[in-house]
Amino acid sequence: MPLVGTPVPRLEAPDKVTGAACYVDDFALPGMIYGVTVRSPGPRGRIRRIRLGDGIPWEEITVVTARDIPGDNVVALINDDQPCLAAEVYNHAEEAVVLLAHRDRALLERARRQVHLDVEPLPPVLTIDDALAAREVIWGTDNIIKSYLVEQGDVEAALREADLVVQGEYETGAQEHLYIEPNGMVAVATPEDGVTVWGSLQCPYYVQKALMRLFRLPPERTRVVQLETGGGFGGKEDYPSMIAAHAALLSWKAGGVPVKIVYDRTEDMLATTKRHPSRTRHRTGLRRDGTLVALDIDFVIDGGAYSTLSQVVLSRGTIHAAGPYRCDNVRIRGRAVATNTPPRGAFRGFGAPQSLFALERHLDVVARAAGLPPEELRRRNFIRRGERLAVGQQVRDGVDLPALLERALQVSGWTERKNRFRQENQRGTIRRGLGLSCFLHGTGFTGSGESHLASTVALEGTAEGRVRVLTSSTEIGQGTNTIFSQIAADALGVGGEIIEVPRPDTAAVPDSGPTVASRTCTIVGKLIETAALSLRQQLLEEGLLPLPYTTGDFQAACAAYVRQRGALRATARYQPPPGIHWDEVRFRGDAYGAYSWAVYVAQVRVDLCTYQAQVEEFWTVQEVGRVVNPTLAAGQIEGGVAQAIGWALYEHVAWQEGRMANCRMTDYIIPTTMDIPPIHVWFEEAPYPYGAFGAKGLGELPMDGPAPAILNAIHDALGVSICRVPATPEVIYDALSREEALV
Amino acid sequence: MMRLPRLRYVAPRTIREAAAALADAGPEGALLAGGTDLLPNMKRRQQVPRILIGLRGVQGLRVRELGEAARLGAGLTLSEMLRDAALCAAYPGLRRAVASISTPPLRNMGTLGGNLCLDTRCNYYNQSLEWRKAIDFCLKKDGTICWVAPASPRCWAVSSSDMAPLMVALGARVTLQSAQGERELAAEALYVDDGIAYLSRRPDEVLTDVVLPPHAGLRCTYLKLRRRGAFDFPVLSVAAALRLDGDHGDAPVREARLVLGAVGSHPVLAAEAGALLVGRPLSEEAIREAAEAAARLAKPLDNTDYALGWRKRMAGPLIAAALRELRGDGPPPHGELARAGVRGRPSGAC
Repeated sequence: MPLVGTPVPRLEAPDKVTGAACYVDDFALPGMIYGVTVRSPGPRGRIRRIRLGDGIPWEEITVVTARDIPGDNVVALINDDQPCLAAEVYNHAEEAVVLLAHRDRALLERARRQVHLDVEPLPPVLTIDDALAAREVIWGTDNIIKSYLVEQGDVEAALREADLVVQGEYETGAQEHLYIEPNGMVAVATPEDGVTVWGSLQCPYYVQKALMRLFRLPPERTRVVQLETGGGFGGKEDYPSMIAAHAALLSWKAGGVPVKIVYDRTEDMLATTKRHPSRTRHRTGLRRDGTLVALDIDFVIDGGAYSTLSQVVLSRGTIHAAGPYRCDNVRIRGRAVATNTPPRGAFRGFGAPQSLFALERHLDVVARAAGLPPEELRRRNFIRRGERLAVGQQVRDGVDLPALLERALQVSGWTERKNRFRQENQRGTIRRGLGLSCFLHGTGFTGSGESHLASTVALEGTAEGRVRVLTSSTEIGQGTNTIFSQIAADALGVGGEIIEVPRPDTAAVPDSGPTVASRTCTIVGKLIETAALSLRQQLLEEGLLPLPYTTGDFQAACAAYVRQRGALRATARYQPPPGIHWDEVRFRGDAYGAYSWAVYVAQVRVDLCTYQAQVEEFWTVQEVGRVVNPTLAAGQIEGGVAQAIGWALYEHVAWQEGRMANCRMTDYIIPTTMDIPPIHVWFEEAPYPYGAFGAKGLGELPMDGPAPAILNAIHDALGVSICRVPATPEVIYDALSREEALV
Repeated sequence: MMRLPRLRYVAPRTIREAAAALADAGPEGALLAGGTDLLPNMKRRQQVPRILIGLRGVQGLRVRELGEAARLGAGLTLSEMLRDAALCAAYPGLRRAVASISTPPLRNMGTLGGNLCLDTRCNYYNQSLEWRKAIDFCLKKDGTICWVAPASPRCWAVSSSDMAPLMVALGARVTLQSAQGERELAAEALYVDDGIAYLSRRPDEVLTDVVLPPHAGLRCTYLKLRRRGAFDFPVLSVAAALRLDGDHGDAPVREARLVLGAVGSHPVLAAEAGALLVGRPLSEEAIREAAEAAARLAKPLDNTDYALGWRKRMAGPLIAAALRELRGDGPPPHGELARAGVRGRPSGAC
């Protein structure tokens, strides 16, 4: 009885529901003490002196500054420009400067307030425009962390010859992840035994790499263990390296005493990463019949003070900027700039939601200008199998975008509802509208990322006749362990009850890459499938497994193998699918092994008394390859749509001198169950041969489409185009007032 | 992590003991009811009482009498009030206001008295200690300047209680007890237009109960502006209570009390607007005049959620919506208002 394609319940759910699950704040070691962080007071400045104030028994407290770092003072990731502790200068508010540890948390709190930083403020760069103007240079020579250019055809000529040219500018704000569990780590570190950390994280080997550089230790003396992790959304991709480093530095200086650092919600919101704010300018040329002949796109993201993951966020955003359309003349200029704000990092969608928001919002504006219904403009320009995307990649997926669109229009009752709203909107103070968006999301790392990672997984048969799936892919609430057990069981031809998925520990599992980029199920899952087939083959070749066999036969064969021949182990290492090639220098080629495709429809009501917009119903139609677990997959879609509704309508990060002013859940507004509409989920399944049992990427896709669909629905309801998210009542009111002023 | 400061906890059994403990504690003491606001504030060091006098074990604070009028103990939880079907039927505006407070778990802890005495709020005050320290504190706590209005000698923190405007609109009376005895005053007189000294309650007094007016012939409602259908404090609210000379919605108004919440440091009674309605039926013209008069009193500053001026802009439309509802037009259609804890349930006359 195959498990893939069935709604197997989440393996870790009983522990979470009963409270048995051990999160970092539940985890304690004998003699453990606590650590806190003293942070920079403003967006940019020089640190003159660190003074320890009166009334604190400083001799009892472990105090760490940049001078105590045994290795290099960087959080190693890509460019290695971010210090672990600010030394002479600080480049953003809330940058870590001093660390303190003590067993008494009340004393620690008092001590934190008695660390005085004498600083000399420097003029900060706080916006994309300031960064581009480069009157103050805070990064490199021009504040530009990275730029990319995608070019095909002759955009200027095509724009000159186009029947119609439509321009627009679109902005998106920062977004806070708000995982349920804030960031936290426990560390034990000594020069003799090396460093071990336990904590809430997505990417064990990223943390290991950062710690090795910071302490100058080899991998075998740098161990990272994941604990139960209460959500990530990208927010635990790079920042756990920072907290692990801080806890480990304190433990190192305290002589190997275990140190725990757990952020409270405010510290987590103030200090950790956010989604990159963006600004996109579009110039679009089209023929009278609606054919797109030129796409000229200028995409800028704000990376904050250090580069962290900005260049890879930028590359995904740039590649997705032209969407699922065919166009002969395309120019996409992508730039990531630096500002004196806390570094922006990974967040579900990773640049694609920003550039797709601009494109899909803009196409509704274009459709109006061309006198075409929005769905018709898209239908006429959809890319088809065999045609090439802007980066030159030929689409090999068996996707049928017109059919996805048709289904979305049909299940949402598009035409009937539109007609009804047109009537109803004539009276009263409520306006309703429908909007749609069409989009794609590349599976796995961008470009040659997966080849560089060369992920490895291992499967191990035990003497008890069980099979252990060894990967560094983390369960962070999305169902990793459940789908891995489904995939392993089906590939081995056994029941799921004999599969174990131990928690990642760099001392015990191979590096299957980070848990990011919608890659876990499809790419790591495929490696598990391959390793499982190889394990089964070993048993068959040894004549230990009869054909056909039961789960019991398989267990007996495992046990016999271990008894007679020793360890039973099979590994698999990533190989790119045949014919896939990416040219990093020219930024052209096969950007992803495959794409997931979707059409979303939003129904929105806008209240003309309070100017509040509310999503009333939401329809999603997507092609994601084979669905491995329908319940978990639908959960991903619903959760992603909810998170995107927050980004589109509610979640406004209020910046004040480069610091998040609304750093609490009472005034950083995320939608509640009262604000989330019914979300309908339909999957089309076109199996992808190089994904586990045909699966493609899924987790980030639902973050890409809702914001433009919702703002397109507002445009439909009000006849007013709103070009930025979040579309709060104030933004909607301003747009309406401007419109009235023009009339 | 945010930790509570060290403190002494006193657990009196009677109101008299509580009042005595409060008098003994002096300025270092504070009353603890549900703790849903006070304890987080203490963790952020907005309030730093060294002695907490817990009211949970105090007898006599949970009175609930409903006859022609109602008497409600200050220690009743908000959930207990919501579960009282007879009370909610008699005062539908009360039901809507209570249901709009935060979320079910917080209503299970929060009390009527706690909400009536809720600390005023401000974007510059409801922040962590480090945040406030970074901008050099404010007048309300540890500082010398009001960051909302730097030239102002006073604090402009905002009354954010949902119960306060409603009780003022109803003309409810509250009882305060101290070691010296007890006194009763109009709900309106409990509040002072000052962000720091926002209550006329003396530091040694315990708020013990609230008396509501007779419900026969009373029409009351409560509308609340906020971004979401749950959690949020009001950034503007309207409480309205009317009596008409007749049973139908088109009868002339005998008595009208309109109150704006969350536009200043106290609930703002729009007496002139109420007087404009008296003797007239609730025509569109009368509603417009009253709404305009009441909205003029809304002079909020830029210290809550929503952009500057937003609360003022919304005041007129919200007052008009409340009056139309009391006329019998049914619950307002507005997304936010319709979601204010009472999806689809008519408020109607009472």
